[in-house]
Amino acid sequence: MKIEVIEKDDQYILNHCTKYLARESRDARHDFGQYAPGDDRAAICEAWRFPVVDAHWDGASAVSSYPYNDVTFVYDGRRAAPASVAVLGTFGPLHSPVPLRPLVFAGEATGFWAVTVRVPKGQVHTYKFAVDGAYVLDPVNPQRAVLDNGEPWSRFFTDACTVPLSLSRTERDLLGRLVRHLLPFRLDENRRLIRGVYESLDRAGRGEEFPLAYQLDDEVGTVNYIDKLIARQEQHNADDYHTCLKIIGEILRSRFGGLDPAAAPPDMYADLYRQMETEKVDGWDYSRYGSPRYFLLLLRRHAMTGAFVHPKHGGNSGAAGWMYLESRFRDARDTTLFDWRRALESPLGHNTDYRG
Amino acid sequence: MDGESATVVVIGSGAGGAPLTHTLVRAGHRVVVLEKGPLLRTQAQSPGGLSDFKRDECFATGSEKRITVQGVANTGESFFSSHVEPDLNDEPHVYRDSDGRDRVTIEGYTAQVVGGGTQLYGGVSPRFTPEDLRLATLNASRGDLRDDPGGDVRREARDWPLDYAALEPYYTRAEELVGINGTWDGQAKVPSQDHYQPPLDPNPISAYAAAGMDALGMRRYRTPLAVITRDHAPSGRTVPADADSIKTAFVNRYGDPLGLKSNVWVSLLAPLREVNGSGGLDLRANCTVTHLEADGPRVTKVHYRDPGGRPRTISAGTVVVACSAIESVRLLQLSGLLDPAFDKRVDANGLLGRYFLTHCFGGAQCIVPERADKSRTLDSDWATDHCARPEWFRAQGLWAGGVIYNNTSDGALPLSLARTWHAMDMDNMWKGYLYDTGIVGNGFEDYLEDSFGRRLSVAFMANQVPQRENRIELHPSVTDKWGRPVAYIIKTWHPHDRALMDTLAEQCRQILVRGGDVRDVSSGSVGGSVVRIANHVLGGARFGTEPADSVLDPDCRAWNFDNLYVTDGAFMPTSGSANPTLTIEANSFRVGDVLLDRVGRT
Ligand SMILES: Cc1cc2nc3c(=O)[nH]c(=O)nc-3n(C[C@H](O)[C@H](O)[C@H](O)COP(=O)(O)OP(=O)(O)OC[C@H]3O[C@@H](n4cnc5c(N)ncnc54)[C@H](O)[C@@H]3O)c2cc1C
Repeated sequence: MKIEVIEKDDQYILNHCTKYLARESRDARHDFGQYAPGDDRAAICEAWRFPVVDAHWDGASAVSSYPYNDVTFVYDGRRAAPASVAVLGTFGPLHSPVPLRPLVFAGEATGFWAVTVRVPKGQVHTYKFAVDGAYVLDPVNPQRAVLDNGEPWSRFFTDACTVPLSLSRTERDLLGRLVRHLLPFRLDENRRLIRGVYESLDRAGRGEEFPLAYQLDDEVGTVNYIDKLIARQEQHNADDYHTCLKIIGEILRSRFGGLDPAAAPPDMYADLYRQMETEKVDGWDYSRYGSPRYFLLLLRRHAMTGAFVHPKHGGNSGAAGWMYLESRFRDARDTTLFDWRRALESPLGHNTDYRG
Repeated sequence: MDGESATVVVIGSGAGGAPLTHTLVRAGHRVVVLEKGPLLRTQAQSPGGLSDFKRDECFATGSEKRITVQGVANTGESFFSSHVEPDLNDEPHVYRDSDGRDRVTIEGYTAQVVGGGTQLYGGVSPRFTPEDLRLATLNASRGDLRDDPGGDVRREARDWPLDYAALEPYYTRAEELVGINGTWDGQAKVPSQDHYQPPLDPNPISAYAAAGMDALGMRRYRTPLAVITRDHAPSGRTVPADADSIKTAFVNRYGDPLGLKSNVWVSLLAPLREVNGSGGLDLRANCTVTHLEADGPRVTKVHYRDPGGRPRTISAGTVVVACSAIESVRLLQLSGLLDPAFDKRVDANGLLGRYFLTHCFGGAQCIVPERADKSRTLDSDWATDHCARPEWFRAQGLWAGGVIYNNTSDGALPLSLARTWHAMDMDNMWKGYLYDTGIVGNGFEDYLEDSFGRRLSVAFMANQVPQRENRIELHPSVTDKWGRPVAYIIKTWHPHDRALMDTLAEQCRQILVRGGDVRDVSSGSVGGSVVRIANHVLGGARFGTEPADSVLDPDCRAWNFDNLYVTDGAFMPTSGSANPTLTIEANSFRVGDVLLDRVGRT
């Protein structure tokens, strides 16, 4: 496994640092309930943006570039002023840390260090920084994973990742059912269409563009989208999911004669949804979560976004949501009235000017 | 690097800062531009071959964040901003709501990036009318103004210290250098030269708006849009072979990765990179100016934070502040806070921050029978100046009029449709859709059937009555991430504004009603809803001929200062009957010529 270092100019990386990291205030201005008291990351704006995961361009073609991301590791050495910083992780051989270089503004060191490497899409990796030889977690990245040996590592994942990160199997099954009720894909003809989308992909296409797409047929990847969202940018909503899915699972199980709620008939979900709207859900444990309606609204926003977002975020998998609109709305000559492909990068879309 | 100096330092690289920079650098001068936001490059400019902007809706309106600012009424509420807008917890704007309580708002921010708000704008680029610049004269003898019992409108109306003829050459220059498509025929504004590029074919949905305007006898024209449709020699930009592929719903609120949308970075600043052996433009992105320091009537030092947050200074012969209206006023007020002598000069008459303006803004929307592919669109197709003509607004008992145009790109993509569902402003992002809990299952099908590709809206943009009490202050307790007081927006609508908005909203409604077999027509305005401010922020440091009645002289130089200029939207004494950016740019070109006289034409 060779590490390919990508040259980025300092301007590019500073563009991703200043707004988020440069500040005087140490207030927990960016803690929406996701950090323990005293956690330094609560003072950093949108800490989830680190490491930076961006599109890749190999200078040759969209097809050969598309399977990769450029991942930029940033170390904030402004206070400690280290002499060397390197990153070591599962994206490369574990015995060869990749050195970060100091970033410069107007000929002077800024205190930020960075390096960019090429990583395939759809992957999850753990890493640490070696700061003057000592291994540390990435102090600005909120994502951490505890490995089998009990050791915490920093974590990142690349675009179109379908490896489950936040939700358990049971949670995913239940969420799939809840989401199915919110989206238009539950009607028979729509489900046939969505299934057709995945079946029409050839094996290579599936592997490259939408690897391991799980739970796609019913939810267009929405469950996966939510799994990734609460692993990264909306980590502050992760507890809402764990808590509410547990309560909902219990309620449905008791309503469904103790059977698996994922197998319950659609009506039961519709009933639950109606009750959540009114804040009065039979059997809801309000001491554990005060507002079922709040969770419903959260779910609505995430379901909508997951169904129609750019597929790199893990939802709208295989662009199935867009394809559904494309085929659903057509003019008298059977030409589509949602020609999304012409605006987007190939091979996802067929725009040849825009590279993604 | 400290102790360095420059002939001219420009603070802010948006519509107010870029044009004069262009003029000075082209004339052989070196200009240091300090810009708080990042330098996001187009695909063609970026060394890696990829743009820093994306056609990605999560990029345009990001994930959920929550307001953590303490002591305001909306602490804990969600907000959604793109990564080129400031984080509201780091740098909030606070407004005093009609209930007297303070709330944090994203409104009033433009964009924090090289190019400023023009990176995100829809590019709607009409000129102001000649009447817009002489509203005091025009209304001086009127006794028929509606909803103005105290005579405020006549008392507070101001003529600009220059007339349309004086601004006209600069409009022409802006249109040429920025790169705009549209048509002149039917406009109430007369150009001396036609630099418009030809517009692309309109989206079919716009035909309803066109038909409505025709039925009402409103002369219409293709909306001037800051998007190039042909190769643009002044900026060296080229268009794709298939020009129609320029049309994409990723326009308004999105940065354009291909640089076809004429933001001031691609049109005015980027072409300067090679001028004077690349020594002319010294653009420093990610640098936030914290305050100005003066010695008597001369600003001597500009204090800023570099990309790592380190404090630095630069001294300048001439300093131009162009941070967009609210932030420019705030920067001057913050400088005054640190130095009473500075304060006394910049705010001698207590007018700094006063007469803050936005636009009277609103419109109507409906569902049309025939669905269109709204993903093939620029921001607007048709506009009319019918209601900007003095004959019209006089007959209505109004002091001024406004432009009306149809919005084509709104709600074009599934996510943009949902997140702006029933939203009248950016603070309401997602709320309408979330609370409309019937949009679910079969209801979702109905929602798409009704809304997707079938929603059409028509908007107006009109003059707001200047009121002294509408103002920008420093907030008494809320501070930004550098520990400095944030901007405090205090603003209400005048009863005459409401009359004007009601009248124009009704005109918009009529356009839709007369446009065909449309249904579910509704109309409204920012005056009639919970919305406090529209997203055009203007005034607060108005220019004029009387030192007692203005903050800036006719050249946009601060009275009582020798070398301090303000050139963003803050200079406007009235807000005009059209979207403001082209006028901000034209004025900045004008001030560029003034500065050339000052620093020398080489
Ligand atoms: C979504 C959206 C759509 C719009 N659509 C239209 C439209 O269709 N037509 C139209 O005419 N207008 C439109 N506008 C408004 C338009 O963007 C503004 O009118 C215009 O950009 C204002 O110009 P300005 O020079 O006043 O400020 P800006 O262009 O915003 O420039 C100000 C710059 O100063 C920088 N800055 C601020 N503070 C500091 C500091 N302390 N130090 C250093 N730099 C600083 C900012 O980062 C910014 O880059 C739109 C705006 C938005 C947000």
